[in-house]
Amino acid sequence: MSAKGSPAASRRKGLTLTDVLVTVVVSLVLGVVYHVWASVSSIAGLLFIQSDELVYGMWFAASTLAFLLIRKPGVALIAEIAAAHLEIAFGSAYGIQLLLYSVLQGLAAELIFAAFRYRNTSAVVAGLAGVAAAAGSLLADIYYGYVTEYATWVIVLKYSLRAISSFVIAGWLMYGLAKLLERAGVTQSLRPVDRKEYDALDG
Amino acid sequence: MKRFFEPDRKTWLHRSNPALKLAVFVGLFVWTVLTHRIDASFYLACLFLLLLFFASGYPLWKTALLASGFALAFASASVTMILFGKGSEIWWSWGPVSISKESFYRGLHLGFRSIAFGCQGLLFVLTTTSTGLFYALMQRVRLSPKYAYSFMASIRLLPMALEELRIRRDALAVRGAGGKKGASRLLQMPELYALPLLAQSIRRAQRTAAAMEVKRFDAGRRRTYYYDSPVTKYDAGAFLVMLAAVLAAALLAQNLPIFELGDMRMNP
Amino acid sequence: MPLVEQKEETAADIQGLRLKFPGAADLLFRDLSVKILRGEKVLLLGPSGCGKSTLLQVLGGMIPRVTEVPMKAARLEVPESVGFVFQDPETQFCMPHVDEELAFVLENLAVPVQEMRPRIEAALRQVGLNLPDAHIPIGNLSQGMKQRLALASALLLEPETLLLDEPSALLDPEGRRTIWEAVRNVSDRRTIVIVEHRIEEVIDWVDRVIVFQADGSLVADGPAESIFRRHRNQLREYGIWYPEAWSDAYAPITESKSPALADPIEDQADCPNSSAPRLESELQPLLRLEQFSVLRGGKEACRVDSAIVLPGDLIAVTGPNGAGKSSLLLGLMGLLPRRGLCRYGEYLPEGRRAEREAAAKHMAFVFQNPEFQFVTNRVLDEVSFTLRSEAEHNLQQERRGGSARIGWPFVRRGRLTAEDEGKIERRALEFLHRFGLADYAERHPYLLSLGQKRRLSVASAVVSAKPLLLLDEPTFGQDARNTFAMLNLCEELRASGHAVLMITHETEIAQRLATRVWRVENGKLVDDRSTARSCTDGTRLVMGDADETFF
Ligand SMILES: Nc1ncnc2c1ncn2[C@@H]1O[C@H](COP(=O)(O)OP(=O)(O)OP(=O)(O)O)[C@@H](O)[C@H]1O
Ligand SMILES: Nc1ncnc2c1ncn2[C@@H]1O[C@H](COP(=O)(O)OP(=O)(O)OP(=O)(O)O)[C@@H](O)[C@H]1O
Ligand SMILES: [Mg+2]
Ligand SMILES: [Mg+2]
Repeated sequence: MSAKGSPAASRRKGLTLTDVLVTVVVSLVLGVVYHVWASVSSIAGLLFIQSDELVYGMWFAASTLAFLLIRKPGVALIAEIAAAHLEIAFGSAYGIQLLLYSVLQGLAAELIFAAFRYRNTSAVVAGLAGVAAAAGSLLADIYYGYVTEYATWVIVLKYSLRAISSFVIAGWLMYGLAKLLERAGVTQSLRPVDRKEYDALDG
Repeated sequence: MKRFFEPDRKTWLHRSNPALKLAVFVGLFVWTVLTHRIDASFYLACLFLLLLFFASGYPLWKTALLASGFALAFASASVTMILFGKGSEIWWSWGPVSISKESFYRGLHLGFRSIAFGCQGLLFVLTTTSTGLFYALMQRVRLSPKYAYSFMASIRLLPMALEELRIRRDALAVRGAGGKKGASRLLQMPELYALPLLAQSIRRAQRTAAAMEVKRFDAGRRRTYYYDSPVTKYDAGAFLVMLAAVLAAALLAQNLPIFELGDMRMNP
Repeated sequence: MPLVEQKEETAADIQGLRLKFPGAADLLFRDLSVKILRGEKVLLLGPSGCGKSTLLQVLGGMIPRVTEVPMKAARLEVPESVGFVFQDPETQFCMPHVDEELAFVLENLAVPVQEMRPRIEAALRQVGLNLPDAHIPIGNLSQGMKQRLALASALLLEPETLLLDEPSALLDPEGRRTIWEAVRNVSDRRTIVIVEHRIEEVIDWVDRVIVFQADGSLVADGPAESIFRRHRNQLREYGIWYPEAWSDAYAPITESKSPALADPIEDQADCPNSSAPRLESELQPLLRLEQFSVLRGGKEACRVDSAIVLPGDLIAVTGPNGAGKSSLLLGLMGLLPRRGLCRYGEYLPEGRRAEREAAAKHMAFVFQNPEFQFVTNRVLDEVSFTLRSEAEHNLQQERRGGSARIGWPFVRRGRLTAEDEGKIERRALEFLHRFGLADYAERHPYLLSLGQKRRLSVASAVVSAKPLLLLDEPTFGQDARNTFAMLNLCEELRASGHAVLMITHETEIAQRLATRVWRVENGKLVDDRSTARSCTDGTRLVMGDADETFF
């Protein structure tokens, strides 16, 4: 009965109800941000051709942020779907296609995190996941928006801008936000407790 | 008080099983994605717009308000293609912009399709409650209750998060942080709003999850369901009407073509 | 005596519990042992922050099963079937409607669908929550109704053990009475563990009281009556509530100050005070309301035909849950739309913006929910934030004044010197100390216990020496020491010419300390009566021209 640390640790392997609920709630809050972001995007679009892609990375923020907070397999995908669910539920004009996009984007981000065995939570990996999500959206765009029929320079411009903004917004910025949240102590109870803390009990 | 997302009257679509309805609508989505002729997409957009107005059970003004968003969807789907798409029969070109016949019609086609997608999505949303959908998914497609209840709980938590935004603004005003203006204020926005909002939502989610587990929620165990989710004649009805709409669009495109163009992916 | 069955069965047995929050400096519990028998009604009593809520979570099996907190115990037997009522009524529901929320519990127990409706209705009746239709959104319920709903859903689990964490903290006296009545009605054969600061309603029927000390260790354990008889001095010393705490603290009202009183506030430079009191009728009101009403969603949430607040007033605002008290204060702060006249001294702001600015300048405000108040990440910053923004504001004013004279075209934003910063920090620390929070200066405000959060929110408002202080239930969830410390602070502020407007459900405050009592009912100020105390009582003030000094 004395080594009380282990059962809790084993319980935390899979996704618990807390993990899922936190993921969903974080994504829904970001889903609200997405709503606001739609107007930011239209304003950004006035700068130059395809300039709205400069802020596109925000649409992938849910998956990276949720992963950086919870650090478990599956959350990136759930987060994307939850954010899309919110947008659809609020009567978005884009409809069910958002669900398709979210699945592709979430899966792509998930792949990157899996490639690093869900251990690496650096800004670079988050950025890569963002870029992967952008690639996922490209896949959807090809089917949905015939983007291969664009003039070649437009394709290159559009998707390189998107990749950069994904790296910066979904990766780097979300990494910063996650760090701030960590500092505020919210993530403490989402993660397994350090062995050290258990040892301190005997002090 | 009546909330915005509450229908005036219940139509057959409200009564059909949300899980099956979701399957039907995903089918519609796939069908629409596979539509590559502009005549077909045009008629799809028209027919679903009609369905949206008559089968959603909402007053016209609300539906119109929601449908106004389609203009933006139409633009965002078509403009880039119209201005920068590939094509051989150039109508007009200026700098990087070149509008060709092919790209123009391809853009219109994308626009029509996006309206069809939008109508389908909205029709689904307006006729389905979240609670109903997740209960149906749990019972019909064995979605784990862990996910279903997380989504349902988060719907309760979200308004609180929005309320929180207002409260925060008030708190800052009361505590006298309203002094700074302009750029420095804008830069502080994430620190002052986004961070606490997220932190608070996460905490609240944790507390709610703990409360749910104390109420002996266990995703692995057998459970019963307060709301039954039966399959009824309305499901057959919904399926048939959607099928009819799709077939009608195809027939109209065949017999009453407007644009008379071929597959939009090749050069039409 | 306890209603224990013949064979004394244990409901919970914890031996040698050690527990520490990650990142905390010290253990919260060090070898704590508690044993609770089946069928016992136990009250956990102790100063704020001693770990009562944490222990309750251990008893409920939430720690470490749901929330991982480092802990270990030589023996840890907790009840299998528990019902838990959390303090915060907002976060314990997961479904949008009342019936769905209760059905959620039944679904978890795999109760057949046909049985659900009758059982839901029976549970609602049991806790006295009479709704014409159970399918209404939970968001439409008042605080008291939510708390009853929480109890109903705990009861549906048919638990052997019921754990209640301050279930009546925000309720009006009537609501408190009914919720305890509901608990008593279901208490038959059940083990009940209660954490509660307000003891009047429970003290008569609990079998046993367990008293904790600030460091989380046990002080006393036994039948209520003997505890309060034998350990009275200890309870008083540790600042824990006991039945006569109020009369002990304020026995002769005007003569002596209470034992909990700390040093008086040092610098009151901005508030006039001197020794010879004047007549009340000569005082200039700080605030004057005429035909004032506050709107919520276009409808009148609180209406005041006419009222004034004088310097030295301590006004207790009372009234049932949902009457519109908080709305009134929010309206005064300009946070809700309002109509009518609201003068600060002679000044009458025009327009929403001016109203807000005037309000923020003349009044400090504490929200009903302490978490709403926090704007920084550190307890110490929370208090110095107020001081700093005030100092910066002053500096700016000064510069602006000075520069106008010299004719300097630009006004630079005020920067505080290192010396100022040091001063601010010292003063903030001093306040934390007064509110028993000095040990938590580096902590994030959200990681405090509920009572500590409440104190921090009050500290961060009180520290600014604004003439008017609006407090929304500042003493809920507080132990005796901190309640008296807070009230003494209010007294000091009064004495130096400030006025305090305090929403409270605590009748003792209204009876013993208030100079006026405002009663709000159904969205209207229905009664404004003065008490035995006057606003010049025990004050040392002589007001100069109030207008000049304050505004
Ligand atoms: N998540 C946490 N991380 C670190 N410290 C915590 C955390 N939660 C609580 N504490 C600390 O543990 C102590 C006990 O908290 P607890 O909530 O059990 O107090 P309490 O006795 O219920 O007080 P109150 O009467 O004010 O509600 C407090 O000092 C608090 O600051
Ligand atoms: N955010 C809100 N939106 C709409 N109505 C609200 C809101 N908050 C409160 N109300 C309503 O306004 C009325 C007055 O509420 P208020 O919070 O002022 O009551 P109160 O007197 O402070 O009650 P309590 O003692 O429970 O805090 C209530 O009927 C309540 O239902
Ligand atoms: Mg507590
Ligand atoms: Mg209130």
